[in-house]
Amino acid sequence: MDERHEELAALNALGMLESDEKRVLNGASVADKELRDLSTELELTAAELARLIAPVEPPADMKRRIRAKMRSSGVKGAGLSRGFVLGGIGWALAAALAVASVWLWQDREKLVQQVAAVSRAMATVASTIPANATTEKKETRNIEEELKSLRSDFETKKAALSTEIEALRKRETDANARIAQLVAEAEALKQQEARSQLQIATLQSKVWEYRRSEMIVVWDGYKRQGVLMLDKMPRVDAGKDYQLWVVDPNKPDPVSAGVVTVDDKGVAKTAFKPVDAVGETVKFALSVEKKGGVPKNEGPIVLVGP
Amino acid sequence: MLQPELSEEDLLQRTGRGDARAFEQLYDRIAPRLFGLLRQMLSDEREAEDMLQDGFVQLWSRASDFDPSRSKAFTWAVMIFRHKAIDRMRALGRRNRLVESAALEHATLASPAQAGADDEAEAGERGTLVREALNDLPKEQRQLIEFAFLKGLTHHVIADSLGIPLGTVKTNIRRGLLRLRDLLKGGI
Repeated sequence: MDERHEELAALNALGMLESDEKRVLNGASVADKELRDLSTELELTAAELARLIAPVEPPADMKRRIRAKMRSSGVKGAGLSRGFVLGGIGWALAAALAVASVWLWQDREKLVQQVAAVSRAMATVASTIPANATTEKKETRNIEEELKSLRSDFETKKAALSTEIEALRKRETDANARIAQLVAEAEALKQQEARSQLQIATLQSKVWEYRRSEMIVVWDGYKRQGVLMLDKMPRVDAGKDYQLWVVDPNKPDPVSAGVVTVDDKGVAKTAFKPVDAVGETVKFALSVEKKGGVPKNEGPIVLVGP
Repeated sequence: MLQPELSEEDLLQRTGRGDARAFEQLYDRIAPRLFGLLRQMLSDEREAEDMLQDGFVQLWSRASDFDPSRSKAFTWAVMIFRHKAIDRMRALGRRNRLVESAALEHATLASPAQAGADDEAEAGERGTLVREALNDLPKEQRQLIEFAFLKGLTHHVIADSLGIPLGTVKTNIRRGLLRLRDLLKGGI
């Protein structure tokens, strides 16, 4: 019970409520025993104030008027007046009969009154319950509709969240896969880097014609391949070619790495790979061979190194 | 012959069982105070008489509903008569306006000085207790409760008539009546 209901109960106790406010209080009281009890307590409290009213004697004929009213209204209390109406010694017998009649009448009327009271109570209940029931049904319907709406919203949000969660999980899976891939690639690169053994070799010549020539080899011992750069190389005779050789100390003969063609300025740059397997640590030699090269070194070595 | 020492509760219960003598004796005991209340509320002698007459007819009919464990006979009767008076005021269209220009000045419960010795005796110990409890309330609460009790007006009309904010009227009535209940607790 909140302050507003307390307020309504207090105002009601003093008869201060408007009709609509009275209905609100009655409606709230149906389901709230505490409020019902408070209303009764406050009504009785307010009624106590009448003890402070200065008494005023009613008109002398008021009892007669009350009896007349009861008779005209058909209230069983018409009998209460007999004591006054039939008072007097000469009417003793009639009074005795009247008393008996009154007693029987009152007894009968008591039953009638009880039936009437029950009827009134039932009528009150009948008039109250449907109104209350209607109100409660309406409130129940409202609550049900509100619940339905909330449930629908909840389901919608739940579905949206599920979709979002599913998408996030997929993204997480993809991201994890990508991370794993990158980690693997990084690991591979690390291993590759660890295994990579680049070697740069400068070849020199003791032949007079090649004293100014420059020959550099960048060799990847892991991949067993390299790049050859030549500069200021003399032109070879017709029917001849430069041929590069990889000298593996574990092999009896140099392994051919291919024919090298030098341009008019004596420059050449070419990637090479030995025709046979060689070790990681090797030397290089450049010879002049027959046009198109030979499988096994025959001509003079003009450059060698490192 | 009914015994004079019968309490109002006994008389009302006997009335509920159809005892006409008890009803008459109860009338003699409580009618003057109820008539005084109706005159104050209705500000009309004739209307007050009609309400007293109708009220006692109703009291006779409903006396069997009285439960002495829940209330005193007098307060139970007051509730019947006040409801009737308020219904009558509503029917007369008086509930939404002040009948008297000087209503506030007249709308106070009788002080001990105003009440005669006989009245005080009639009010009894309970009346003294109610008087003390009412005097224990802050003045603004006491005045509003007395005014509301005697005039039977809605809180909107009371707020307008007295130039007091509606919220203040409600709050003072609520606090005052709850306090009054607590002070009288156990004796209602």
